Amino acid sequence: MIRRGAALAALAAVVAGLAAYPGFASGYGVRATLQIFMWIVLASSWNLISGLTGYVSFGHVAFFGAGAYTGAILVAKVGWPWLPAALAGGVAAVLLALVIGYPCLRLKGPYFAIALLGLNEVLRALVSYFEGLTGGGNGLSLPTLDATIPIYYAMGASAASVTLLTYVIITSRFGLRLMTIREDEVAAEAMGIDTARHKLYAFLLSAAGPGIVGALTARDQGYIEPISVFPLATTITMIVMVLLGGKGTVWGPVLGAVVLFVAQEVVWARYPYVHPLLFGAIIVAVVLLMPRGVLGLLQSRYRLPRTI
Amino acid sequence: MLTVNGIRDDLMATTVLEIERLTKRFGGVTAVDGVSLRLEAGRIYGLIGPNGSGKTTLFNCITGVERRDEGRVVFGGGRIDGFKPWEIAQKGIGRTFQLIRVFPELSALENLLVVTRDNLAAARERALELLRFVKLEELRDEYAGNLSYGQQKLLEFVRVLMREPTLILLDEPAAGVNRTLLNDLLDAVRHLRNQGRTVLLVEHDMKVVMGLCETVFVLDHGEKIAEGAPGVIQTDERVIEAYFGR
Repeated sequence: MIRRGAALAALAAVVAGLAAYPGFASGYGVRATLQIFMWIVLASSWNLISGLTGYVSFGHVAFFGAGAYTGAILVAKVGWPWLPAALAGGVAAVLLALVIGYPCLRLKGPYFAIALLGLNEVLRALVSYFEGLTGGGNGLSLPTLDATIPIYYAMGASAASVTLLTYVIITSRFGLRLMTIREDEVAAEAMGIDTARHKLYAFLLSAAGPGIVGALTARDQGYIEPISVFPLATTITMIVMVLLGGKGTVWGPVLGAVVLFVAQEVVWARYPYVHPLLFGAIIVAVVLLMPRGVLGLLQSRYRLPRTI
Repeated sequence: MLTVNGIRDDLMATTVLEIERLTKRFGGVTAVDGVSLRLEAGRIYGLIGPNGSGKTTLFNCITGVERRDEGRVVFGGGRIDGFKPWEIAQKGIGRTFQLIRVFPELSALENLLVVTRDNLAAARERALELLRFVKLEELRDEYAGNLSYGQQKLLEFVRVLMREPTLILLDEPAAGVNRTLLNDLLDAVRHLRNQGRTVLLVEHDMKVVMGLCETVFVLDHGEKIAEGAPGVIQTDERVIEAYFGR
């Protein structure tokens, strides 16, 4: 058994290490870690809606893209500094979630998943269409700025916030109520739980993170185009990360994000063509052998608490 | 808090639920056909009838899971037809299901805590008391999905009680339950009646119905064909015909 004090101390050490990292790391190291933070935000956010309520979102990258374009337009065309633009990206994503969540959350299972997938494609098309604002297929360039290190910290703060949010939710009765939606929505309603409202809250919370990191990524890359910020591959990746780590847990998405990103970097560098094969193999392995992911497996084997 | 004794005078001799000419159709099939009934406080009622007679559909119409086509459902003086299931539950109607619906990946204790928004400490205390009542206290941290059929049945039963409902609908509480457990359950139901609550149960086990219920309603093909004390119902011609044919 890991004692709580020791666990917290270890966590503090990791956080301190990550905070000091840019001081002695290479450019590549900072960029790579920055991306890990981004994936942690994406995976953990997806977990909030799909892992907890069981409403599997197959178009979650739509919020990333919406945030990216909002942030990029505010920086490039309106002259905002990137940090407020990133927060605005989060707000835009939440508003988008509010507009589509209301009708879509009434759909069950596969219908919800496909509707979200459709949303992603619709957004991509809309962005291409409104060329004047978004640069359409030509993409949108941001004024040159080397802000890698501040963005590293912004991404890190986002990752920490989403992880903390997940912890707070999972250890609260609100989180339990969200889980009853996954367990048995009919019974949950019969017990007086307003499932529609709870689903919507979870959905809104799950959109904020991707919106913010979408805008941060736009700033970091300096250039975005529809295909780069609405790719289906991103949705699939965040799903695989959560499945691998353990959906419905706090640290599962984090574990999945770190492991998969590192594996991806290592494999892709040496064997670029094996990469898609690796992904497919992981999905199949996880679904067949450990559908509840690594942490889920540990939870049932060693009776670890749900709140890990 | 659950009181051990004590009949709640304010609830006695009042109409808790009134159903007027309730009708529900599914395509060409009329599952519930103009059913009217009234439930008084502090009594145990039975709802029986052959398979397919509309009992569960009637439950679903009361609890808002199905929308009725015609008729009214009045609870505690106010209409509840058209309300959502969670709103109706919050008004004070609780139900259990024919096929047990506990939350499998929540612990037994969490299954009880999640249904109430009361102060956590008070809720926890009440939940533990209820678990003790059905002898599940030691399994409070076990995943509900790992419990045996009988244990899950008891869990679902006390989960309904966490919200202190005025009216409790039990859908086949005796199904698949061994005799000892069944007696505990029936005692619990009588206990609820003594507290002034109202219980309506669907049941196929006639011994349970005859031994427990004060008034029995009989449905056949969606219609109410008889209503009365168990002894009277047993000898009613129409009831016998419904179950055994001419």
